[in-house]
Amino acid sequence: MSLLFQLLAAGVVTGCIYALAALGFVLIYKSSRVINFAHGQLIAVGAFIALALTQRGLNFWLSALIAMTLTFFLGVVIERFFLRRMVGQPIISVIMVTIGLASVLDGLMYLTPYASSNNSYPVNFTGSISFAGISLSSAELFAVAATLIFLGGFTYFFNKSTMGVSMRAVSDDQMAAMSVGTSVQRVFALAWAAAGLSAAAAGLILGLKSGLSLAGLAGIGLKVFPVVILGGLDSVLGAVVGGIIIGIVENLASGYLDTLVPGGGTGAVLPFAVLLVVLLVKPYGLFGTKEIERV
Amino acid sequence: MTNMKRTLALLALSTLSLAAAQKTVTVGWSGAITGPTSDAGINYGAGAEDYCKYASAAGLVPGYKLNCIARDDQYINANTQRNFEDYVGNMGAPLFLGYSTGATLQLKPTIQETKTPSIMGTFHIGNIDSPNGQYVFLPISSYSEQVVSLLEYIAKKDRKAKIALVVNPSPFGRAPVDDARKAAARLGLTIVDVQEVGANNLDNTALLKRFEAAGIQYVVNQNTAGPVANILKDAQRLNLLGKIQFMGAHYTGGEDLTRLAGSAAKDFIWATSYYLSDEATQPGMILVKKIGAQFGRSAATIQSVHYTSGMTASAIAVEAIRRAAAKGAVTNLSVYDALLTFNGSKAFDPGFTVSPVIFTKTDHVGAEGLRYLQADATGNFKAISSPFKSNLFRLVHPPQ
Repeated sequence: MSLLFQLLAAGVVTGCIYALAALGFVLIYKSSRVINFAHGQLIAVGAFIALALTQRGLNFWLSALIAMTLTFFLGVVIERFFLRRMVGQPIISVIMVTIGLASVLDGLMYLTPYASSNNSYPVNFTGSISFAGISLSSAELFAVAATLIFLGGFTYFFNKSTMGVSMRAVSDDQMAAMSVGTSVQRVFALAWAAAGLSAAAAGLILGLKSGLSLAGLAGIGLKVFPVVILGGLDSVLGAVVGGIIIGIVENLASGYLDTLVPGGGTGAVLPFAVLLVVLLVKPYGLFGTKEIERV
Repeated sequence: MTNMKRTLALLALSTLSLAAAQKTVTVGWSGAITGPTSDAGINYGAGAEDYCKYASAAGLVPGYKLNCIARDDQYINANTQRNFEDYVGNMGAPLFLGYSTGATLQLKPTIQETKTPSIMGTFHIGNIDSPNGQYVFLPISSYSEQVVSLLEYIAKKDRKAKIALVVNPSPFGRAPVDDARKAAARLGLTIVDVQEVGANNLDNTALLKRFEAAGIQYVVNQNTAGPVANILKDAQRLNLLGKIQFMGAHYTGGEDLTRLAGSAAKDFIWATSYYLSDEATQPGMILVKKIGAQFGRSAATIQSVHYTSGMTASAIAVEAIRRAAAKGAVTNLSVYDALLTFNGSKAFDPGFTVSPVIFTKTDHVGAEGLRYLQADATGNFKAISSPFKSNLFRLVHPPQ
């Protein structure tokens, strides 16, 4: 039974990291209907900015704050110079822009000493706590706490703040939102900025837990696709629930099924099987908005 | 004054004629400076390029200037193929320095067809096995031999030990599995589980808990440092580090592992053929530092075992070109013949590896000597054995 609890705990932790990484996808899609294929690169940029600062002797938490602030503004710049010009263009063109953006960001990161090396943050985050047969590291607890804080913050923002309500309005109907004076451009910029901020947070947590390598950080950006599709592309709550479901399924499959399959790897496959089953029943994901087109 | 002008003119003329007499030979490396595994590739490529430039400047190949090139293939096979074609087809390179397993396995028929001696940064035994392995050379012992040697270490400690292999889900990772199974059977060891773990292994709780439940005492890794570091950190969190001994082949260990795993790397056992940067009295390591400083490399690069590894491949190439040049023209076939002279009294010892580089017509594994090294509390790897060869490996995998 303790194995089950440990696997569930590990699944929740992994799921929270997925959820945090997935939040940026959701924020951008929710406001602008753009799927951002450069999200993994935003995660890596945030993580590497914090690494550069900590290696120069800055306190980790201050570095983290600066990294999140800088990626916040990077999101604004990306929207202003790349995505704004694409408003009204075919969706495939917009997707190609984000794929190109991923290449550009990759290239820029390879100009630094960080992208082709393995690093860790020079902070002592090695402690762990054990209870009821479950062991969790400080970095993992931090991951859960950060996800809850971001989830709470974004939920509050979307429900209570004027800008949050504007974002929801733009998400529902751009033309209608514009007709009542909502600045769609400002909403898009804020969505990219918030995505940049949450990406940096995800990068920081990934860096604390798994070390800093470009492949690992950018790779997680694509690994969370099933999470956002399962939860619903435009649902913040869906990202969290989807993340935790995928995390738990991965861990339970690895714990109980890998012994039955030579080489293992069921943890990487089963989440997609679950995803397929869920999409058969709920094509817009668990919490995604059901779109009805009337002719 | 007139005499001085005449002397200067003569000097200039003789320098020009010397330069004109010097022939140029291309030594080209293709590997991952960016993309997957570039953490190792960037330093490997730097080492290969720097040694070649050093050799050219030092005139190690009399009468020849070396055109030293290190190109990024991003770990994409098609790019490696293009670089190979450019080096060999357009620049007339008499040999090729490669890097990745996938690209090497894909290039083997072309290497065979063009009869181009190729020295690889991947130590997959399949590179030199038939078919099409005639012109491929491994600078050091293969992954398979490294893993078998770790099994021999385990067998000396505990003949009844339960072992798990954790390998990368790729030809690189799977390479030693068959030989490890055969070796374990001969040693009386039990390989309980073989699991594939790649990059992005965010959580290894399930894997480690299964190992614990199965009573596994040794985990032998054939992977890159990143996934192994994540496994070690999770093992530390689950209090398994004292119960399970983790070990691994060449690309699992070194300063990369320490940097990623921190204190969780302590006691990790590593099998490799290279000397390490902190073995300061080794002549090869003195040379590595000298060349690194000469080309303005960072301390981290000079310290990297992959920098030494790249230099080793380049040193083998330069020595083969030197021997070919001494006999006449430098061509792919004369360089190949020169490589086959690396034995007996003519074995080549660049000083970077714990044993000399020896090639014969039937044995294309260079420095076959290995050592076990173990990470101390500060993360530095220290040798815990003298150099040795795995005789068992030759029994389970005779030269093909």
